[in-house]
Amino acid sequence: MSHHCGRFQPAPMTRRQMLRQCGAGFGSVALAAMLGHEAFASTGRTPFAPSRPHFTPRARNVIFLYMDGGPSQVDTFDPKPTLKKYDGKPFPVKAEPTQFDNNGNTLASPWKFHRYGQSGTPVSDLFPHVGRCIDDIAVIRSMTSDFSEHTNANYFLHTGVGLQGRPSMGAWVGYGLGSECRNLPSFVVLNGGLIPPGGLDNFNSGFLPATYQGSIFKAGAMPVANIKPTEPSAAAQQRKLALMHDLDAGVADQFGRVDAIESAIANYELAFRMQMAVPNLMDLSDESKPTQRLYGLESSNKPTQIFGRQCLIARRLVERGVRFIELTCPSVGHDRWDQHGNLKDGHEKNAVAVDQPIAGLLRDLKQRGLLDETLIVWSGEFGRTPFAQGKNGRDHNPFGYSMWLAGGGVRGGVVHGATDDLGYKAVEHVRTIHDLHATILHLLGIDHEKLTVRFGGLDQRLTTIDHEAHVIHDVIA
Amino acid sequence: MWIDLTKVYFVVLAWVVMSSSARVGADPQALEFFEKQVRPILAEHCYECHGPEKQKAGLRWDHISFVLEGGDLGPEIVPGDPAASRMIDAIGYANEDLKMPPTGKLDEAQVATLTKWVAMGAPWPDEPAPAGPRGRQRFDVQRMKHEHWAWAPLHAGEPPAMKDANWAKQAIDRFIEAKLQAAELHHAPPADRRTLIRRVYFDLIGLPPTPQQVEAFVHDSSPNAYEKVVDGLLASPHFGERWARHWMDSMRYAETYGHEFDYPIPHAWRYRDYLIRAFNADVPYDQFVLEHIAGDRLTKPRRHPEQQFNESVIATGWWYLHEQTHAPTDVRQHEADRIDNQIDALGKTFLGLTLACARCHDHKFDAISTRDYYALAGFMQSSRQHEAQLDPGRKIHAAVKQLHALRREADAAIHSVEMPGKQAQNVSSDRVVFEDFNGDDYGPWFTTGAAFGDAPTQGGQWDRNVESPAPMRPGLADSGRLSPKLQGTLRSPTFTITHPRIHIRCAGRGKVRLVIDGYTMAHFNGLLFRGLDQKIDRPDKLGWTTLDGDLHNHLGHTAYLEFTDDSDDCLAIDQIVFSKDGKGLAADEPLHLSADPSLDTERFNEFRRQVEAVDATIPQPLRVLAMTDGTGEDSYVHIRGSYKSVGDSAPRRHLEAFVGTAGIRDEHGSGRLTLARQMIDPSITPLMPRVMVNRVWHHLFGVGLVPSIDNFGKLGQPPTHPELLDYLASEFVHDDWSIKRMIRRMVLSNTYRMASKSADDHAEQVDPNNQLLHRMRIRRLEGEAIRDAILTCSGRLDDRLYGPSVEVHLTDFMTGRGRPKSGPLDGDGRRSIYTKIRRNFLPPMMLAFDMPIPFNAMGRRSVSNVPAQALILMNDPFVVQQAERWAKRVLAVKGRTIEQRLADLYETAYARRPTADETRRAIDFLNAQLAGYNRPAEAIDHDAAVWADLCHVLFNVKEFFFIH
Repeated sequence: MSHHCGRFQPAPMTRRQMLRQCGAGFGSVALAAMLGHEAFASTGRTPFAPSRPHFTPRARNVIFLYMDGGPSQVDTFDPKPTLKKYDGKPFPVKAEPTQFDNNGNTLASPWKFHRYGQSGTPVSDLFPHVGRCIDDIAVIRSMTSDFSEHTNANYFLHTGVGLQGRPSMGAWVGYGLGSECRNLPSFVVLNGGLIPPGGLDNFNSGFLPATYQGSIFKAGAMPVANIKPTEPSAAAQQRKLALMHDLDAGVADQFGRVDAIESAIANYELAFRMQMAVPNLMDLSDESKPTQRLYGLESSNKPTQIFGRQCLIARRLVERGVRFIELTCPSVGHDRWDQHGNLKDGHEKNAVAVDQPIAGLLRDLKQRGLLDETLIVWSGEFGRTPFAQGKNGRDHNPFGYSMWLAGGGVRGGVVHGATDDLGYKAVEHVRTIHDLHATILHLLGIDHEKLTVRFGGLDQRLTTIDHEAHVIHDVIA
Repeated sequence: MWIDLTKVYFVVLAWVVMSSSARVGADPQALEFFEKQVRPILAEHCYECHGPEKQKAGLRWDHISFVLEGGDLGPEIVPGDPAASRMIDAIGYANEDLKMPPTGKLDEAQVATLTKWVAMGAPWPDEPAPAGPRGRQRFDVQRMKHEHWAWAPLHAGEPPAMKDANWAKQAIDRFIEAKLQAAELHHAPPADRRTLIRRVYFDLIGLPPTPQQVEAFVHDSSPNAYEKVVDGLLASPHFGERWARHWMDSMRYAETYGHEFDYPIPHAWRYRDYLIRAFNADVPYDQFVLEHIAGDRLTKPRRHPEQQFNESVIATGWWYLHEQTHAPTDVRQHEADRIDNQIDALGKTFLGLTLACARCHDHKFDAISTRDYYALAGFMQSSRQHEAQLDPGRKIHAAVKQLHALRREADAAIHSVEMPGKQAQNVSSDRVVFEDFNGDDYGPWFTTGAAFGDAPTQGGQWDRNVESPAPMRPGLADSGRLSPKLQGTLRSPTFTITHPRIHIRCAGRGKVRLVIDGYTMAHFNGLLFRGLDQKIDRPDKLGWTTLDGDLHNHLGHTAYLEFTDDSDDCLAIDQIVFSKDGKGLAADEPLHLSADPSLDTERFNEFRRQVEAVDATIPQPLRVLAMTDGTGEDSYVHIRGSYKSVGDSAPRRHLEAFVGTAGIRDEHGSGRLTLARQMIDPSITPLMPRVMVNRVWHHLFGVGLVPSIDNFGKLGQPPTHPELLDYLASEFVHDDWSIKRMIRRMVLSNTYRMASKSADDHAEQVDPNNQLLHRMRIRRLEGEAIRDAILTCSGRLDDRLYGPSVEVHLTDFMTGRGRPKSGPLDGDGRRSIYTKIRRNFLPPMMLAFDMPIPFNAMGRRSVSNVPAQALILMNDPFVVQQAERWAKRVLAVKGRTIEQRLADLYETAYARRPTADETRRAIDFLNAQLAGYNRPAEAIDHDAAVWADLCHVLFNVKEFFFIH
């Protein structure tokens, strides 16, 4: 049998193997790695859970700052003086079809740009705090997406395919590397308030086992579904669990083959540990005042407080060994970064909510020596048009937009790729979401062509079988 | 000639001719130019993807013979003619869909060099073609078919003979025992009756047996005690609920479209009810498949036994249970993706083949070509989403017959009228008449429902919709001709949009929409499709309704017009005109012609009384999601899966491996009925019965004979018992494709009745994965069965069948756009199959227990083991609530001792009695909880709180959600 692409692996694992491995897993809670150390180390890699990276990783964890709605590139990290020349005049090149088909004239950025740091990378006045961290950041100005619709673009960004049902990148990372945490999931979504279009399926495990799906942690004291015991006292629950434990032992005897039962029993133990670990995670009273201030927890702006808290919890999750942490935006009393109208007001509110917390996170990780091993990814699902939608908004633009990387293995202070003079389409080092995924996996020590799972007769991967994906070496230190 | 053609044996004659005319000879200077300037560029920028290692797009660039033959897109260059050369086009970066190299444009000097090289006639030294894969190769379906077992005809062999036929009495057991004996293994002993009845109840109806049912079976000493249980379960109405849910996993069943706003899929639940009825009625599987593929095309559809409505058409709803987004900026891509999802589900579910792999290239491993994929895509492209109208009690049918008879009588009294000349339009390129309905029939148009009849109105017909006797205006598509109460749809043939305005001269009330590339979401959200979906409200006056709005953005797309009368009004369409400017349209005029004074008013008043009496008998139709035929259209092969680069036409047909290459010819319709008949003919499609018996086996034994039940291809898993698989498939066909009798055969086997404990440890070592079935498998119950069992224990189960779904209960974690109103915590006590499946708000308990996300066919669920499952059973308010209910229920029975109550709990939950040790532990626990809550010890026989705690524990003990 000739293997055209060399990506096909032996048949999938048996159910027993899977139960064994998932038994140690955490509800989105991958403990394949834990097992990996114990079980796979002797037997070598299995197609199910490559517990060891393919090569030396540069980062151990990822924090994905997901800018829901699509921030405008020409108003944040991609200054375009040419737009001034055409401001208010017809856009000088032919526009592609847009989501709202209500294209107006060219719209120059209402914000000024300043050069920051030693690198002198320009950042707009929307991000003064992040600007001061720019020497740790690699800006990619030539990202592209395949979709102009939020939902498709969100699925594409998260899963590599613009349709529902595929595993999210956090799930792939958990699947690939397992978790270093015995009490928490490998993929946590810190929900600042907004759920992106496309819903929770952006964070799902698709055809990977449910073990790897993103666990949604809401803001607030009770962040995880069913994490709070319903019994009047801890002792009352413990007596119940003790009885369950005793009765389960009898079941294991009665059933004969017991591996499935034993895995289920182990699973309860993990759930119980998680029940204990989460309240501790969310309790910030052991964080110093200066730390809290750094993240904007004392801000008078409520959304800044919320996002600051999420950023701080993200750091605490990194400390606990959680692999992949995604942050969604808080509600700012305006739309998400999706300013079809009132660009100035909407982008300002969204930026104020995240600017100081993100800078706080970068600084705090750095001073604790964690930035080197934590990859930070900042991106929306697409950018926005350099021409107006209506009078003062911008429509979706997947043809060229900006995102950035920082931390684990990233070369700070660089700008990669470029859009045309109007900031409309990427023209230099045109990059795709597949490139981004390949790069994230690469920094984690994973070869994106080797992280595969058999589904529908094919060895599926995050970067997909039918598309090119190139690691963006220019942004790697 | 400077190439040794004998070495380049595969080069086609065409280029030999071409090369001899256009290419230069072995000019040393030209070759030096090539070696020094051209080859380095090729080596640096092309070979990585188009060389010995990879041949993307079936192309290699490291030898001139490869270049001239080309890849998937055809020859790469035309020597001497850069402008006609695909490669020059690609490196110029002017073609949006083909830019090479993909990582960045070559610099100007490099582009100039390559252009010059082609202009020179593409000189290349005389060197042998390098070894390795050549890239593009002819795809040999027949060879691939003969190389893989699954394509072979059914082979109905005899079951192996057994020396000791004591255990292996039945055919299934003989096949299983033969393999066990060959491996020197023993089958496990039979399971005890309590284990067996719990197993077979969950497997057949998805519910646990009641304590009474358990005791009756345990104490039934008749030799056919077990058979009676099985037959009772097969006759239970809950059988259909259990097996419908299995099937729904393959149909990616959902009741909303997902994406941004999660818009509803109307009437989806009626398909679910169809499935329950079909499994309960044991509809033969060939008929069941026929209905799924082409239930709308059957001249004699299967009818509901009591209500007499057309059941067959409801099956076609599955085609449209896919996800859909609103406002796609590329609607043609949206259609291609939708069809891909349909083909994927079709292939995996009915054929066990990953057809969708052939979307972009010939299947790498199976006998499925890209042409096969697009030959199937044509069936879907030629079909349309539809809201079928069913006729419970066949009352509409009866009324139409009566109305026809009355009309014939009345028409006989009407004098023929001349066609009142439809105002001639100035026909020009700016303005064309698309349809004027002046013919004797609807020609290429499509009608469904009874309202529009089978022809436009003709001269000499009575107009029943005016007071005084009058002739009907001829030349109308009129939904009120027989009765205003009749409803129906009229659809145009598929056409290409050529003008930015569509004008419809019409009267009455109804709806019109333009469906572009099959996109039907505009009525939820008009974005990008404004003005293409309109209401018509113009009683009694013929005037113009114009579709324009966003139409100008869709010039060149294919579309059809759809007129719907779904009320007690009439809708009459006179003429349809396409124009650029909207000018030159005829003036409005009355719909009805003037009364004819020569007609006998009394007589016509009597006619009127009679038709109105019939009107009163016409009920509202029942609406269901369905597929209907559109204009027959063959698809084109999309090169590399992109509709933007089309290749050859792919005439509609079943897979080449089954029927050869001739297309079916059906210009008026989709031709699905032909496809369906070929699919259910086992001499043509032997995979059909194999895949289904394997599915049934999977659901009863936990693992299919072919473990990869949706993939019988080379990348699937081979059958563990190929002879048994074919034996069962043949029996299935011979036994009239009866699913119930196939299930009966399997569960009555001694194989199914084995215990889950091995006869000896040796078996576990020889057959650790139990592939040979030396014992029964231990299986975790599905989320639905766990929830239904909880409701059964608590007594909350409402076992009504059918009906609209119960809204899903929303937790704080279930947020997002399109969030509905929350449903009740206990789902009204209904079985889980009746919980509404909203794509963006899937029930968390079901998800945690591996209900598949409905995005494509998923016949085999994963069985994960995640803390979310434990957290749900430990802490979810639903589970706690049901435990409390169960406790109250068990305490409400008077006169039971504590031990008896414990026995009641165990029989209900586990179909067995507690051991002495379990009883003691439970009593100790009750006492400890009482003490912990500061309650008196005497309360042990009535304290609902501590008993609820015990019930809650019993839900969490693994025995509750495993069967063995």
